Amino acid sequence: MTGPHMETKLNEYVDGTLAARERATVEAHLVDCAGCRAAIVELRALVTAAGALPKSIAPERDLWSAIDARIAQRATYNVHRAFWRGALAAAAVLVIVLSLNRLLPPSTAPYRPAGQGWAAVQADFDRTTSELGLIFAAERERLRPETVVLLERNLAIIDAAMAESRAALARDPASVELRGLFAAAARQKVELLRWVVRVAAS
Amino acid sequence: MHSDPTDLIHRAQQGDRTAFEALYRAHAGRVYALCLRLTADRALAEERTQDAFVRAWERLATFRGESAFSSWLHRLTVNEVLLRRRAERRREQRVLTSDDPAALERPGAADASSGSALDLERAVAALPAGAREVFVLHDVEGYRHEEIAELTGIAVGTSKAQLFRARRLLREALNR
Repeated sequence: MTGPHMETKLNEYVDGTLAARERATVEAHLVDCAGCRAAIVELRALVTAAGALPKSIAPERDLWSAIDARIAQRATYNVHRAFWRGALAAAAVLVIVLSLNRLLPPSTAPYRPAGQGWAAVQADFDRTTSELGLIFAAERERLRPETVVLLERNLAIIDAAMAESRAALARDPASVELRGLFAAAARQKVELLRWVVRVAAS
Repeated sequence: MHSDPTDLIHRAQQGDRTAFEALYRAHAGRVYALCLRLTADRALAEERTQDAFVRAWERLATFRGESAFSSWLHRLTVNEVLLRRRAERRREQRVLTSDDPAALERPGAADASSGSALDLERAVAALPAGAREVFVLHDVEGYRHEEIAELTGIAVGTSKAQLFRARRLLREALNR
């Protein structure tokens, strides 16, 4: 057998992954090359032996007690974690609600002059939704795949609505109507992420 | 205790640790063999077997019965072993040795293996980690290169190159 190219061909020949034409070329080569014929025999024996190795080997010691202890410990940890995640989510929601109230029309929230505090409110919102988003990312494996798909689709719709509101507010920062639209979309996002945190922690 | 696998899985999914223990008893040998061959280190293999079952317990709710439980568990095990190895490699705190073929010489393995199989086990354990993983997954476990690429994060071409390298090194070792 000569060179890496031929080694690849012989392996692929043994694996049965060569196209018909290449296979014919290798077979023609094998007629005249005793070294490659021997290599084929060895490769086939190796692949057969590997496939025949025992699929099960008993561990030398029983590992169950250690696994069981870790599972039990994890259950206790999850209860604590669920509490703290709930607390964190509640705190995040409180921050967002307080922030959004500053944006609402005078009839529902203390009036603020146009544009005042807007950057701070957006920063608050971005930070808290980012924290909830991180929890979602960490817990998504606990949710059914189709639930994750639906959640991501809904979050994308809300994000798109919020991006539009932000862009419009950048052009018209005094618009009470636009603030209301942004606040409504933001509440939807918070509610959705709260639901994720609650379900994932349960 | 029920021995019906579907019933055991269902009960374990509801949080029944006794049912999960029965699943562990049924699959521990298969998972441990996989971990042992992938790590070539008995202590590490025991650790990874525990990790895999703890992970399986945590993710049981995601098992929907679309594939066999054993396939789901083996894939999860491979992921767990490779994930941990990548993390360890990143931290550069542990150098995986490939000089622990004694791990495969225990009575359990020897009873089930012929002399030549034991030689092969030793030679596989002595392979470089990357070549060993691909060889074990492809030639021992029967994964396709596309699946290995997905599991390990390497390209299909790299998987093939590692396999052919492993086979060359094994032939050399077994011919000595």
